Amino acid sequence: MVAVSFKDVWKDYGSGAVAVKELNMNIKDGEFVSLLGPSGCGKSTSLRMLAGLEHISSGEIIFGDKVVNKLPPKDRDIAMVFENYALYPHKTIYENLANPLRQAKVPADEIKRRVTEAAELLEIEHLLERRPQELSGGQKQRTAIGRAIVRQPQVFLFDEPIAHLDAKLRARMRSELKHLQYKLGVTTVYVTHDQLEALTMADRIAVMNDGVLQQFDTPQQVYENPANSWVATFVGEPGMSLMEMEMTSVEGDMALAFGSETIKLDQKSAARLAAAGKINLLVGVRPDKASVSLEPLPNGIQCEIYSRQLLGADVLVEVEIGKSRVRAKADTSFGGNVGTPCHLNFLSENLYFFDAEDGKVIPQ
Amino acid sequence: MASREIISYDKGVAVKILKWVSPVFLAFYLVWALLPLFIMLMASIKDLLDAFSVPEPGDWAGITMFFDFSPTFTHYIALFTENNFGTYLFNSLVASIGSAIIAVTLGSMCAYSLSRSEFRFKKDLLFWIISTRMAPIVAVIVPLYAIFRSVDLVGTLPGLILAFTTFNLPFAIWMLKGFFDGIPYAIEEAAQVDGQNRFQAFLTILPLAAPGIGAFVILCILFAWNDFLFSTIIGSGGAKTLPAATKELVQPQNIDWGKIMAAGVITTAPMIPLGLLVRRYLVAGLTMGAVKE
Ligand SMILES: Nc1ncnc2c1ncn2[C@@H]1O[C@H](COP(=O)(O)OP(=O)(O)OP(=O)(O)O)[C@@H](O)[C@H]1O
Ligand SMILES: [Mg+2]
Repeated sequence: MVAVSFKDVWKDYGSGAVAVKELNMNIKDGEFVSLLGPSGCGKSTSLRMLAGLEHISSGEIIFGDKVVNKLPPKDRDIAMVFENYALYPHKTIYENLANPLRQAKVPADEIKRRVTEAAELLEIEHLLERRPQELSGGQKQRTAIGRAIVRQPQVFLFDEPIAHLDAKLRARMRSELKHLQYKLGVTTVYVTHDQLEALTMADRIAVMNDGVLQQFDTPQQVYENPANSWVATFVGEPGMSLMEMEMTSVEGDMALAFGSETIKLDQKSAARLAAAGKINLLVGVRPDKASVSLEPLPNGIQCEIYSRQLLGADVLVEVEIGKSRVRAKADTSFGGNVGTPCHLNFLSENLYFFDAEDGKVIPQ
Repeated sequence: MASREIISYDKGVAVKILKWVSPVFLAFYLVWALLPLFIMLMASIKDLLDAFSVPEPGDWAGITMFFDFSPTFTHYIALFTENNFGTYLFNSLVASIGSAIIAVTLGSMCAYSLSRSEFRFKKDLLFWIISTRMAPIVAVIVPLYAIFRSVDLVGTLPGLILAFTTFNLPFAIWMLKGFFDGIPYAIEEAAQVDGQNRFQAFLTILPLAAPGIGAFVILCILFAWNDFLFSTIIGSGGAKTLPAATKELVQPQNIDWGKIMAAGVITTAPMIPLGLLVRRYLVAGLTMGAVKE
């Protein structure tokens, strides 16, 4: 439909509250981009600037080849799902859904057809005669989605559109929205703080923290090659553990010093770390790439169990080594409990390396 | 738990006393409030002799005298045939409804913009608007008269409407701003995204402020309808309203009680249903609070 880009966009709410800092992002025509980040990181602000609801402090937002900074929302041809629904309290659900079509002067029978179609997709067809205050939170949220998808705009803007649905409905809505977006080919920006939504739906994920874009890449890249230690710990559930380590050498080979332990490096990692030449590192390991055992292991690190949580199919064991904590997945038959001494093990080729100073990833 | 019972026992006495006192108080209050209206109504349909026949003090049985008369509408008929009350009634209606419509139209737009925009000195502007209502009317009526004289507005209905609007508008702005403040801006944002411009979005949310606007229209009408000062001074000549006209029934040589009572009934009667309406709207409006989605 249309490509969307942010060019050096800043948003300053005044009184020192800078919500978005130097945002640069090129969203391709028809792409599904997810804005992912913790609460208060500036996701909604970015989306609202796209919609034309928020003044842009500096920079440009471009639809296709047109700068839209001064274009009112109605002329941007967008459809948006608001974080707080923003339904019309005095109109029936039917009228709520029909409103954008009425504005676009769609003929009445066409309105009826499209509203019914959207309502069926969202399972709210039995509520069409009610008013918003007679609906549950999830039903309101579905109405808000319906109001966006009854028409085919240039850009879809979704602000946490399924956050208040139950798990089953959410899973269904994920695939419905994804299907719809793919079928219509509408450029979509989807704000969420749920990484599962971002990872499963998006073509590319923009990870934000504290108003700064951290990484903008495919879900796979964001998961496998995080740009910095913050992204590494934010993406992935349960999250990656970080350990402070130092470069050292054992009998002429490069190794990592972790407290009183040394960790031998495989050749590829050693070459990579040698090229970077950093001494202080943050080393990450994902829980499913680490293992714990009550028996001593050949390259195991002595540690103590800090907590143990059942995840369903397996248990998440958090162990303590000095002041670092590392999470590892173990079989449900794992016998250790809080305070039990045990041994942690991981392969050095599964480790992630970041510069301890600025958190940036050590280049491959 | 024991101490709790003692406390509720103490309260019980107070509540019991209140339970006895409040109906008595309410009964007295009801008589106090309704008796004048009742006497006015009765006197307006009696001829003068009946109206002034009062029993001796202490003669409680003589109270039946009060109801012993044959009803007559001569006073009402005389008001409309001899005293031009048709014109005055028309003036009252036009002036009060006209000023209410103007005040509410300008007031809702002004209140909307004050509610939605942020700018420097906004608080000062708001205070200035309401401060125009702080001076008593008598304090400004003389300069206002001079101004109206010089532009030939004295004694005209537009002049009277303008005068009422001057006094109703600040009130409208303040009251309606509260209503707009309670309507989430997000609803207008949604309307804009749906393809409406700012003004259309304003019209979309206007029904949400309807209880406030309705209540305010009625309060405006009440103010103008009951007003005496503006009507005697600004309206004198061609735009007299009912209260001013009633006052003129008091002549130095002759006070025409029957007509005065009838005029009082004519003035009061339309306001009673309106008062009941304002009550419904005001309660609906004020308990509405923030608009729930
Ligand atoms: N109107 C405003 N005035 C001042 N500061 C604001 C305003 N709106 C948002 N902020 C601030 O800007 C920052 C970003 O807010 P934003 O709403 O974009 O967060 P978000 O990423 O959408 O968070 P969430 O996931 O909780 O919705 C926050 O620190 C917030 O306090
Ligand atoms: Mg948000």
